[in-house]
Amino acid sequence: MIKSLIRGWRFSEYLTVAIEVSGSIAAGVGIAALMLYLLGFDPGRGMALLLGGGLTDPDYLLSRATFIMMTGLAFSIPLLAGLFNIGGEGQMYLGGLVSLLTAIYTGNLLLALLAGGIAGFALGLLIASLRVCRGVNEVITAIMLNWTLYYITIYLITNTFYDPLAPHESIKVPPQARFGIMMLGGFKLHVIFPIALILIGLSYYILYHTRLGFEIRASGLSPKAAKYAGLNPKKAMLYSMGLGGFFAGLGGAFNVLGFTYYIDTLLTTMFGMGFDGIGVALMGRNHPIGIVFSSIFFSMLILGGQSMQMELNAPKEVADALSGIIIIALALPQAYRMVISYIRTKRMIG
Amino acid sequence: MSELAIEMKGIWKVYPDGTVALRGVDFTVRKGEIHGLLGENGAGKTTLMRILYGEIKPSKGTIRVFGKKVSFRGPWDAIREGIGMVYQHFSLVPSFTVLENLFLSLSTLEKVTMSEVRRRAEKIIETVGLKVPLDAKVEDLAVGVQQRVEILKTLMRNAKILILDEPTSVLTPVEVEELFKTLRKLKDLGITVVFISHKLKEIKRITDRVTVLRKGKVVGVAETKDVTEVDLARMMVGREVVFELKKREAKPGEVVLLVKDLWVKDDRGLDAVKGISFELRRGEILGIAGVQGNGQRELAEALAGLRPVVKGRVILEGEDITNLPPYLIYRKGLSYIPDSRSVGLILELNVISNSILTRLKSFLGRSGRILWGKAREFTSSVIKKFNVITESLTTPMKYLSGGNQQKVMVGREVIVRPKVIIASEPTHGLDVSATEYIRRLLINLRDEGVAILLISTDLDEILQLSDRIAVIYEGKIMAVGKPEEFTLEKLGLLMGGVKVD
Repeated sequence: MIKSLIRGWRFSEYLTVAIEVSGSIAAGVGIAALMLYLLGFDPGRGMALLLGGGLTDPDYLLSRATFIMMTGLAFSIPLLAGLFNIGGEGQMYLGGLVSLLTAIYTGNLLLALLAGGIAGFALGLLIASLRVCRGVNEVITAIMLNWTLYYITIYLITNTFYDPLAPHESIKVPPQARFGIMMLGGFKLHVIFPIALILIGLSYYILYHTRLGFEIRASGLSPKAAKYAGLNPKKAMLYSMGLGGFFAGLGGAFNVLGFTYYIDTLLTTMFGMGFDGIGVALMGRNHPIGIVFSSIFFSMLILGGQSMQMELNAPKEVADALSGIIIIALALPQAYRMVISYIRTKRMIG
Repeated sequence: MSELAIEMKGIWKVYPDGTVALRGVDFTVRKGEIHGLLGENGAGKTTLMRILYGEIKPSKGTIRVFGKKVSFRGPWDAIREGIGMVYQHFSLVPSFTVLENLFLSLSTLEKVTMSEVRRRAEKIIETVGLKVPLDAKVEDLAVGVQQRVEILKTLMRNAKILILDEPTSVLTPVEVEELFKTLRKLKDLGITVVFISHKLKEIKRITDRVTVLRKGKVVGVAETKDVTEVDLARMMVGREVVFELKKREAKPGEVVLLVKDLWVKDDRGLDAVKGISFELRRGEILGIAGVQGNGQRELAEALAGLRPVVKGRVILEGEDITNLPPYLIYRKGLSYIPDSRSVGLILELNVISNSILTRLKSFLGRSGRILWGKAREFTSSVIKKFNVITESLTTPMKYLSGGNQQKVMVGREVIVRPKVIIASEPTHGLDVSATEYIRRLLINLRDEGVAILLISTDLDEILQLSDRIAVIYEGKIMAVGKPEEFTLEKLGLLMGGVKVD
């Protein structure tokens, strides 16, 4: 595994990325602390809450990361083929809804999970085929479908599948169709997280070790070269979007089958996670391994922001702004590289 | 010593990624001369001129124009000092008329009216003798005329120094003569010309003095009349260059590729190949000569299955391969080397991925798994056999030099022993030594019995390599014959669409 990782992406590249990322997080934290101070909050305590708040409950942190890890993949794989999948949100709703219904009617966990993934796959494929066959921009289709699915899901939950005992929630997933919780040396952990890690491995394998992955990456980098080489960029677009939808659908299924066990009538447990996936994918440099780290980090900031809100009584906007600053800081390596090359230039010509 | 028009001293240019393009170049041009700037691809010619034109800033060094020290913030500053530049790729609006283009370029500098522009343009056309139709749309004009529009544009801005970047690369032989006439006229009018080229014959013919660059350094400055082409070539590449490729008499075998009445459309849906027929035999090189854009690309793409054949047949070893998908055609033993590395390679991917690009299917295990081990072996054999210089097999292609990129692109096609190779501009943009390497390779392949269709706009290449030559013009073959049957003039006329007997 390690050997194949190094083959796909050179070790020095991993190292550089690791150093750059930690450096920029440090810079981001510094600026965020200064901002807290200027706003009249205790910067030490605020930063401790923002960065540490999420760590108080590692299980929750990782479960939350699981969902955006999946939507991160959902954005990243189509992007490799040159498509902008902004529809992770809708694909996740649909995956969640379909897996819930399958679980209720069949009581089979595996079937429910697969149904969620396949629903997402179909939705992704639909968006991509509109693009490939009819030239409809995938961003437009995806945004419209996001809202369509949002309201369809809400409609179905409030009107048909609500739980008579708790009308703001859907019927619960039957116990035999749930992902459980495992104990890991005294820590509890929702099973969905390790399963998601396996899926990350799977996506890495597909992207870097199979013909389909090669076709996707080659087509995304240069459609004309791919075409010349006898590859099929259109097929790459269809499959990449399908795969993206598949992972987003699984994200929704994980949410329902492995964490909440129901969907609430306002979709609060899923809302926005499809969009978070975009940030996660970009911060993870569009690479499955990077997405593992960025999804956990993202989730840490979101949870930390929430605890800061509660403990410091800081408005939500402040928490969001601080998370934003830290994420922007992650763009600093680019600036850093420019400075380095400038210095190198000066040194070379004396 | 006459007055200096340009005096560049100690110019360095280091790009942000650490590439050093220029290492302390001194470049002086006398007023009123035609000065040649000679060098291989990547020697720094264009970089030096873009610095002079204010387009990029030097990392170090001083520039004087007509004795005045200058520091340009952008091309507009250079234009104000009387410098004009004509690029290889023109910057004209195709759907505008010539006059509208002239107006556009002038109106960014001063307040003018259309009628004033016309009056001034007509005056310059008269004094210089440039033949330019002011009211024709640019897209309807031949490339050579478009180039004249560019020259006119710089003169309208009162250019005293005219920089031409590889001006002849897009022209037919007749148009080159026109251009040279214009340049001499400009010289008589006291305008200084900097002529960038890597073509020795042209440098020798048109320039008064010449500066030779090699790897970002000046390796020689001379009066053109005092040096021979061989001297210049030696300076340019740092060694003697063999101009004549020695090759054995071709021994053509049986017909491998048969093309019958082929019709192909271009991207706009217009007929680009109009009923071309030819046969290609084992062990021969058939050269397709012609000016760019006469259906060569469409022909090659149709043969490789990349573009639908509207009518006609392509037969490979007796088997009809018309309109088969490319990967099948490649697998049946036809290789296509495209005219541009941006089509044939994916520069962001590493050397291994690029080596297996066109034959991915041979490197797949069961269930579509890529056998990276096998791919790696294949890549090392390509690299070893063709002396590709790369840091490692996993280096992204973009970090290799153009010549080494080309070696990978050609090498991966050649090493699998194809029956037919379609080589489109195989040495385009390569330096002299890489060009020689590729040409020798093609001749060796021919001797081993491979059938080669060479599509090239470089007449030297066509004449050097081909056993038979076919001239293509507007999608039709004008004439076919042995190289001895063609003189340069005859080829030029045929390429320009003039039938000769």
